[in-house]
Amino acid sequence: MTAEPAKLDVSLQEHEEKQEWWWIAEKKRSKRLDYLRKAVWKKGALGGNYAPGIKVDLEGPKLFTDMWKWWKFDPIIMRRAKALAHVFDNIPIFITDHSQLVGYWGSAPHTISWRVDGASIVNEELYNEPGIMPEPEEESLRKVAEINDYWAGQTAVDKVARILDPEDAVKFLSGAIGWGAPTSAYGYSGKNYEYYLKGERGFEDIIADIEDHIAEAEEKTIGVPGPDILHIYDRIQNWEAMILVLEAAIRFAKRYARLARTMAEHLETDEKRKEELLRIAETCERVPAKAPRNLQESFQMDLLIQTMSRFEASEGAWPARPDYYHGPFYEKDVLQDKSLTEEEATDLIGEFMIRAYEVGGFGPRWAREGMQGITGTWVWTIGGVKPDGSDACNALTTAFLRTARLIRVSNPTFAFRWHPKVSDEVMRECFECIRHGLGYPSFRNDPILVANCMNWHGHPVEEARTWVHQACMSPCPTTKNGVQPFRMASATANCAKMVEYALHNGYDHVVGMQMGPQTGDARTFTDFEQLFDAWTQQMQWLLSLLVRTVNLGRYKDPEFYGRPFLSGITERAVERGIDAVSPEGERGNCWITAFTWVENADSLAAVKKLVFDDKKYTMDQLITALETNWDGYEQMRLDFVNKAPKWGNDDDYVDDIMLRCLRTMAKHSKVMRCTSNNTWPAAPQNVSGNIHYSSVVGALPNGRRLGDALYDGGISPGPGLDKKGPTAVLKSCGKIDHVADGRAFLLNQRLSPTQMAGEKGYQLWRAYMRTWADLGLDHIQFNMVSDKTLRAAQKDPEKYQEVIVRVAGYSAHFVDISRKTQDNIIQRTIQGI
Amino acid sequence: MSTCSDCKSFFPREDEPGKGDCVRRVVDPRQAYYTTRPKNPEEDASGCGEFRKR
Repeated sequence: MTAEPAKLDVSLQEHEEKQEWWWIAEKKRSKRLDYLRKAVWKKGALGGNYAPGIKVDLEGPKLFTDMWKWWKFDPIIMRRAKALAHVFDNIPIFITDHSQLVGYWGSAPHTISWRVDGASIVNEELYNEPGIMPEPEEESLRKVAEINDYWAGQTAVDKVARILDPEDAVKFLSGAIGWGAPTSAYGYSGKNYEYYLKGERGFEDIIADIEDHIAEAEEKTIGVPGPDILHIYDRIQNWEAMILVLEAAIRFAKRYARLARTMAEHLETDEKRKEELLRIAETCERVPAKAPRNLQESFQMDLLIQTMSRFEASEGAWPARPDYYHGPFYEKDVLQDKSLTEEEATDLIGEFMIRAYEVGGFGPRWAREGMQGITGTWVWTIGGVKPDGSDACNALTTAFLRTARLIRVSNPTFAFRWHPKVSDEVMRECFECIRHGLGYPSFRNDPILVANCMNWHGHPVEEARTWVHQACMSPCPTTKNGVQPFRMASATANCAKMVEYALHNGYDHVVGMQMGPQTGDARTFTDFEQLFDAWTQQMQWLLSLLVRTVNLGRYKDPEFYGRPFLSGITERAVERGIDAVSPEGERGNCWITAFTWVENADSLAAVKKLVFDDKKYTMDQLITALETNWDGYEQMRLDFVNKAPKWGNDDDYVDDIMLRCLRTMAKHSKVMRCTSNNTWPAAPQNVSGNIHYSSVVGALPNGRRLGDALYDGGISPGPGLDKKGPTAVLKSCGKIDHVADGRAFLLNQRLSPTQMAGEKGYQLWRAYMRTWADLGLDHIQFNMVSDKTLRAAQKDPEKYQEVIVRVAGYSAHFVDISRKTQDNIIQRTIQGI
Repeated sequence: MSTCSDCKSFFPREDEPGKGDCVRRVVDPRQAYYTTRPKNPEEDASGCGEFRKR
């Protein structure tokens, strides 16, 4: 299929005037991209439910479990390597019509994968999930039950749960204070791109290196006896597991090559398609066995590695820097050799994004509700600087931004590393994406975040400059000692509970149990300092519990789970013969995701103002009102909403409380240590946790009732509470030290599509962004879709299937998120700048 | 008894004698594709609903 536009239409101008960017995209993109984009089975849950037709893949889980049972006497890393190799060798694979890139985490395009050995509670939930069992349903349920029976009690989470402090375990599993699973079975795996994605080595080179290490180690094991050689035996097992799975990975790619060649030689009649299939065959015979030579091979290698990593663990994020690592091949093929036209390259770029968009695994309901519309946070990093500090933007940076507007996927999204040397051309491409309503790229202040990487984790400047988003927000280097092989989502804190517990003596009225420490009956507090002391203790308790759990999970993971494939693509593990998850030699890059954060500042400020300063209400009245969920206290509630200062209005009264909370937390972040003995800074943000936790967080002194949506951002003001305009929002946020006060701070802003139209709109936005940079904020992202369009989409969702919005650290199609989340986005203040 | 090697969808592997792949065309509601899974040529195909005599 050629890269010609799908259709020509004279009404493009009309669509542009109506800001119907999705119709423009459909008409401008090539026939191939149009087919592939529409061919995707959407895996993101709609609200909390999977779309009709989506089925759980049972082929992979059965293959994996069968082989796992067979090798029951092997060490865990070898057992996983053999089971994984069996999946690579036998799972059905497919090649979609018109595609040029291959690889999928499942046996058919409509399937979602299932991590059988992660957590029994997830397995039980899968068994009971309506609508996702393949036909015949009864037979599928029987297979699932058999698999569940086998894994019950021996999944990674089952093993961690058995050794956790029982009280910690109950409180963590209550779902009230945080979420996640302390195992790399569901981690956010950082990738050591500096090792394997620079076009310098393939898996055969890595295998040769490992064989050298084994030979050297074996020499020692037949040498002088002593305690210093005992650890080598385990390392040899680890190396052998890496080789086994890397060889299987090469065979997996060659299965695609064989299928493409069979199709070309026996089944395809179109000569052009035959050529494409033979090119796919040649590509998959080349990578990942050997280093890539061109753009297609580079994309294909990256895609296969991401796919195969997911067969090993249900990776919930997709850290990437595609323009930086694939850019040299784009420039060679398109600009120097001219072996690819720009249009042909656009087809490859678009398909690369579509292949990521279609990936999906089964997630428990809390995860689906917390990340509505997507299956993980594929936040791809673009822009930034090279290790020497020079501008890293290249021709592929702008090509990705242009292509994003043509295919309009909600996952992956881009996060742009802005720095002062970024050209106007690149900024205009970024702005066009926002103007087209994609909600991305988000903007990251690169000099601030490089300094932040150095401040919190001691990464050397050259390594810090390689950073990518490990999940939604937090930067992580891609270097040997800087990359974090995985980060478990279980250090994700529901921070609104800090102030809630400070007001209720550590008791949780929603789940009905004593959760935090008993910090005193707040009715007896006579000044703000007593309340703040209680808040500090609750904050320290909550974060420490989550971090303890993650640290333990991380420490035990090589014993309880094991990552032979990830180890084989991680230089530190290859060099040392360790599981990549072992912290040995890793600098450490942990962070706490701080959900529902801003409620703390607004609530504490409201109590200080109306109870302790103005003495309009007593603590006794406040606690009584909160315990009744403000029922019967509406006038009082409105006072707490309207007569107390709110974050985001450049008001030092509340802004100082925000800074005090952040700095108190930052102090504790340095006390808590990770398995590499490094710090645990917090990154205030929400995915759609502000909706998920709305029924978990009780009434608060900012006037919020149980059930109301929480604030949407990490440092975004409450919806409609930022009344002093966009500059005041930036000034409030600019009071935060974005290097020392935490790891990253998410700021959502809505802009008016009408005001942002044309050159004038662009210049207004540039001026706004200059203020953002001058104030030293580390993050900002925009929604630029009108209320009119969003309300029309609520009324007639079929007509507005392709409208995308920025939810929090990710984007989603508006029709895929719950009504409550939709309303929350509409309620956000549209800033006139 | 029909075996997989008697089927039109069976393609023997040139470099791995005694092994082959079942390659089939699938058209689902959103896309069309070719899918493959490894097959032993001597496997009993009498119960296979997709069997097409070579």
